[in-house]
Amino acid sequence: MDPKIIADLHKFYPEIVITGTFLLVIVADLVFGRLRRAVTFALTVLGLAAAFALTLPLFGAAPGTMFSDMVALDPMALFFKAFLILASLLVVLAAPGSRELSGSGLGEFYALLLGVTLGMILLASSTDLLMLFLSLEMVSVGSYIMVGYLRNDRQSNEASLKYLLFGAVSTGVMLYGITLLFGVTGSTKLIVIRHALAGAATPGENSLILLVSTLFILAGLGFKIAAVPFHFWCPDVYTGAPTPVTAFLSVAPKAAGFAILVRFFFTGLSQAGQGLTWITFASINWMPIVMVLSIVTMTFGNIAALRQENMKRLLAYSSIAHAGYILMGAVVLTSDGLQAVLVYLITYLFMNLGAFMIVIEIYNRTGSFELKDYRGFYRRSPFLSVSMSVFLLSLMGIPPLAGFFGKLYVFAAAVNRDLAWFAVIGALNSVVAVYYYARVMKTMVIDGGDETSPVHASWDSTALIWVMLIPTVGLMLFWDQVQKITSGSVGLFLGN
Amino acid sequence: MIGLTHYLVISAALFSLGIMCVLTRKNAVSVLMGIELILNSANLNLVAFSRFTSGNLDGQVFAVFTIIVAAAEVAVALAIVLSMYRMLRSVNLDRADTLKG
Amino acid sequence: MRLHLRQDWASVVSAVLSPRLPGEKPMLAQFSNVLIFMLMGLLFLVFALVLWRLLRPAGTYSDVKYETYECGEEAQGSAWIQFNIRFYVVALIFIIFDVEIIFLLPWAVVFKNLGLFAFVEGLIFIAILVVGLAYVWRKGDLAWVKPEDYRAAGEK
Repeated sequence: MDPKIIADLHKFYPEIVITGTFLLVIVADLVFGRLRRAVTFALTVLGLAAAFALTLPLFGAAPGTMFSDMVALDPMALFFKAFLILASLLVVLAAPGSRELSGSGLGEFYALLLGVTLGMILLASSTDLLMLFLSLEMVSVGSYIMVGYLRNDRQSNEASLKYLLFGAVSTGVMLYGITLLFGVTGSTKLIVIRHALAGAATPGENSLILLVSTLFILAGLGFKIAAVPFHFWCPDVYTGAPTPVTAFLSVAPKAAGFAILVRFFFTGLSQAGQGLTWITFASINWMPIVMVLSIVTMTFGNIAALRQENMKRLLAYSSIAHAGYILMGAVVLTSDGLQAVLVYLITYLFMNLGAFMIVIEIYNRTGSFELKDYRGFYRRSPFLSVSMSVFLLSLMGIPPLAGFFGKLYVFAAAVNRDLAWFAVIGALNSVVAVYYYARVMKTMVIDGGDETSPVHASWDSTALIWVMLIPTVGLMLFWDQVQKITSGSVGLFLGN
Repeated sequence: MIGLTHYLVISAALFSLGIMCVLTRKNAVSVLMGIELILNSANLNLVAFSRFTSGNLDGQVFAVFTIIVAAAEVAVALAIVLSMYRMLRSVNLDRADTLKG
Repeated sequence: MRLHLRQDWASVVSAVLSPRLPGEKPMLAQFSNVLIFMLMGLLFLVFALVLWRLLRPAGTYSDVKYETYECGEEAQGSAWIQFNIRFYVVALIFIIFDVEIIFLLPWAVVFKNLGLFAFVEGLIFIAILVVGLAYVWRKGDLAWVKPEDYRAAGEK
């Protein structure tokens, strides 16, 4: 009898509920005949909603770890749990309305999505390298299948194969890096690793091995957040995958990747400094490495997005650029920076999912992802065009939309850490980004198209778009709450 | 007589071979073999470190999990390669070229 | 805990050339056993080949000697054929379930110490695997000919 594990179980209800729903959905998909579409959908929505509801009472629990230091239960883990479950729920709601997915049974899709969601929330809270690796693989393997879900579509298959090969190689490389870190510090627990590095006999010992190992681990984490130079899969996979899956991949696993990146670097490879800052160890100074990664990622993403003609590809490069901005919040090594990461992710969830919802709806009606087919769309559907413009303006970072606050927090965090030049690079990048977002808006609103038949969005997509639109426009009205939630969620459990 | 260095050298060699295989092969199945080499080099590292430096069994347990994850990953990978083969009648990665830009 | 890589190499070289413990033979000398084995093996092979050559009748060549099975079914075509795709599917299913069983070994080892807790935990683990098995079964992937393929063949 192990009372500790059983005592921890009641803090683990969200995960247990998701696991149960996952199994139920598989069984329901096999058992129910004609009803299974409705039943699996209802089960998934109920399961995710229940998991979300069960996460909320855990806020305010004393920070700590569960299951012999495998999983952390701290404000940041809880924030990401709620965030990721919400993101999955929104994607589940969007899935039945998509024309791309309508040809195949959706039961397996929901099951995979639940599995990936479970992996993501474990990933976001893992404090052990073993747990990190396992949950990362859980997310990845599920996503490979989701990308290749359209079995008879050549692009979907190719995207899946590319995703798989890149993913498997980068997680393999990451695993090798993990083994080196384990070898040097003698433990897989992030907290023990920090103590081992802090207690080094001579400052800077083993620095070469630690550098190699950090770079290798960064390959795996960079793959998940699609940071340059580990981004090669990203545009192809986003284009080839069914659009609801693309929307999911561009938000949820990316957020989970940031969660574990922050946790790994802050809990494992740095120690608390003065005030609310962290400092790196003499043996492994990872700050400049990640800083370069951030700059290269946002610059490359923005420049490559300039000449894209396919909407999904354009949003893929734009999501790479946004990963660069978010990394900027993480790399300044302050509590402000961490809060900026969380704020940015909240705003990014609504504006990016919203933009993808509209891409899905336009594809449902016109059957095209090409920018040239968006010409003169304002005359065909004012609602879709205007809401798309709102999301794009928010992605640009135009005040007073939500995206502006994300960028504001990130840049402010950099300036507060005396890294004004870093913030300037970010701001210059935002200027470049204005061009390609504005081009889409110009195509939709100003350009005249040959096709003028009106397009009516279905009621369910309209409702979902409103669900995204309201927070994107109105987030500033609730800024006190957002500020309170995010500043309360920066706490990482750093060991007793 | 045989020390940690021996294991590390072998595993580094396996890792390099795996990376080389991944980078140079055109055949999807060969690339998967390269990935297996990478994962197994990590396994070797884990067991060797567990035996020589860490003084506990964490590394060996980790290796067992890695083996299982590798099997699951390869099962999914082969299924995707099969699905691709059904469509293209080829497992050559150069044929997967419809996504560009 | 610094890893002494360079020093380790030196120790390897010295272990090969000189004894590590007093009274122990150096590594090179220990390998002489292996050398004797190799020499014996080679000698045996050469002896057998030479003796057979001397004893067997010469000039009895026939095509039959080059058949795969001298007194069995006649082999047809090349062995490099494409196997039925079902082999792969069955193999994939097998390997997944096979590998999952690794987890049951440590579980069985500590089963007695943990009692009811381990029993319930093992039951949950196996129940999850059973769901997987049920899925595969229901989808017809355990049958050698998939039910869908049957139907497709019937319609043609």
